[in-house]
Amino acid sequence: MHIDIDRGRCEGYGVCVQSAPDLFDLDDEGDPVILRADVDGDLTDAAALAERSCPMQAVQTT
Amino acid sequence: MTTTEASRSTYSTDLDLFSDEVLLDPFPHYRHLRDLAPVVYLSKYDLFGLFRYDQVRTALNDWETFSSAQGVALNPIANEAWKDSILCMDPPRHRTIRKVFDDALRPKFVRKVAGDLDVQAHEIVDELLAQGEFDGVTDFAHRLPVNVVMDLVGFPRDENRKKILGWAEGSFNFAGPLGDRQTASLPGAQAQLEYLINNASVDKLLPDSFGRVVYGAAEKGEITQEEAVTMMIGYANAGLDTTINAVAATLWLLAVNPDQWQAVRDDHKLVPSAFLEGIRMESPAQFFSRVTTRDVEIEGITIPEGSRVLHSYGSANRDERHYPDPDRFDAARNPVDTMAFDNGVHTCPGRTLASMEGHALFKALAEKVSSIELVEAPTWIPNSITRGPSTYRVRIS
Repeated sequence: MHIDIDRGRCEGYGVCVQSAPDLFDLDDEGDPVILRADVDGDLTDAAALAERSCPMQAVQTT
Repeated sequence: MTTTEASRSTYSTDLDLFSDEVLLDPFPHYRHLRDLAPVVYLSKYDLFGLFRYDQVRTALNDWETFSSAQGVALNPIANEAWKDSILCMDPPRHRTIRKVFDDALRPKFVRKVAGDLDVQAHEIVDELLAQGEFDGVTDFAHRLPVNVVMDLVGFPRDENRKKILGWAEGSFNFAGPLGDRQTASLPGAQAQLEYLINNASVDKLLPDSFGRVVYGAAEKGEITQEEAVTMMIGYANAGLDTTINAVAATLWLLAVNPDQWQAVRDDHKLVPSAFLEGIRMESPAQFFSRVTTRDVEIEGITIPEGSRVLHSYGSANRDERHYPDPDRFDAARNPVDTMAFDNGVHTCPGRTLASMEGHALFKALAEKVSSIELVEAPTWIPNSITRGPSTYRVRIS
């Protein structure tokens, strides 16, 4: 599974970090950082939760 | 008899959702409404209602169909009074105003202005530990939001601060359906507006505060003066009562679920999850509404264009179709996809701040407190929009 963030939509709420702390972080400016863009196994569940939980629908998985 | 009328009877209910009795214990009623149909018609209030998670979420994410531009409150007086509020706008106007709001609530700015929340949280916990027994709402839940939010917004440190909380509590009834509870809220709403215009004008606000940012944006012409005042009402109302309700409800749930408190004690990384779980179960804002911009069909039921549609955050968050065993407090559930903060363009801009406050308090508790014991059960006061205990006694050691 591949993870992407639409930076135009992201508002920096950090909900992805709480959904999947191994996959996402916020930098000092509050901008999102993808720690691992390609995941498999249990981490796909965490990535899917992050996608579902993003209030701005900025997280995308393919 | 037309087919439309015949079918409405299958999803219509005369339940008085806003009666004291229902508001004091809404959850069995929500379950009944969720089971009735994916869309219900509340005949007493001439409102359509969404009570299931999937339908609430879909509507909140579709602002083009479920518009906020005719207000989100449940009566015309509040919708007129709040017409310059970002709550009551759609993009693109919403986007411009929201930017000002968001700038003032970004984690980085909040950290700078709020000071060290962890230090303040530890002071509160130390004091209450020494005291032993205390009121979970006024002694615990009030303190951090009141100190932090009033300083962030920039309200002058004077005797008026004591009144701000009371106005905030009343202001949500102002948005409820017309009736005794709404009527009783009117003097407070008026007093709050007068305070904001006369006693919290830009020259009186604390330096480096949100309030200064907001009025600065008005000066630059990014927003209007009316929008600035309405935004101040938003901060004062939404930033206090909701966070207090979330903190108070979570502490109560931890007190009555000692095994879950033990789980948090064993693994402090569960603090954010446990706080969200409290918010899921006792969503501080239970309802708002939208108006449809076209006929919408949901599983065979048509909501006509121009209908006011209530959505229940509180019910969506207890939907067994989405959260297994929804009435159980599970500190490890981590319900980050909760609807409690709304979703889509109107997502709560204060989510980060509220989480920072809650995490600081419950982390401090987890580090120092082994048992939280309920001494006296909570008292609830019915509110048309919000939900939270008004008082209860706990003992910590």
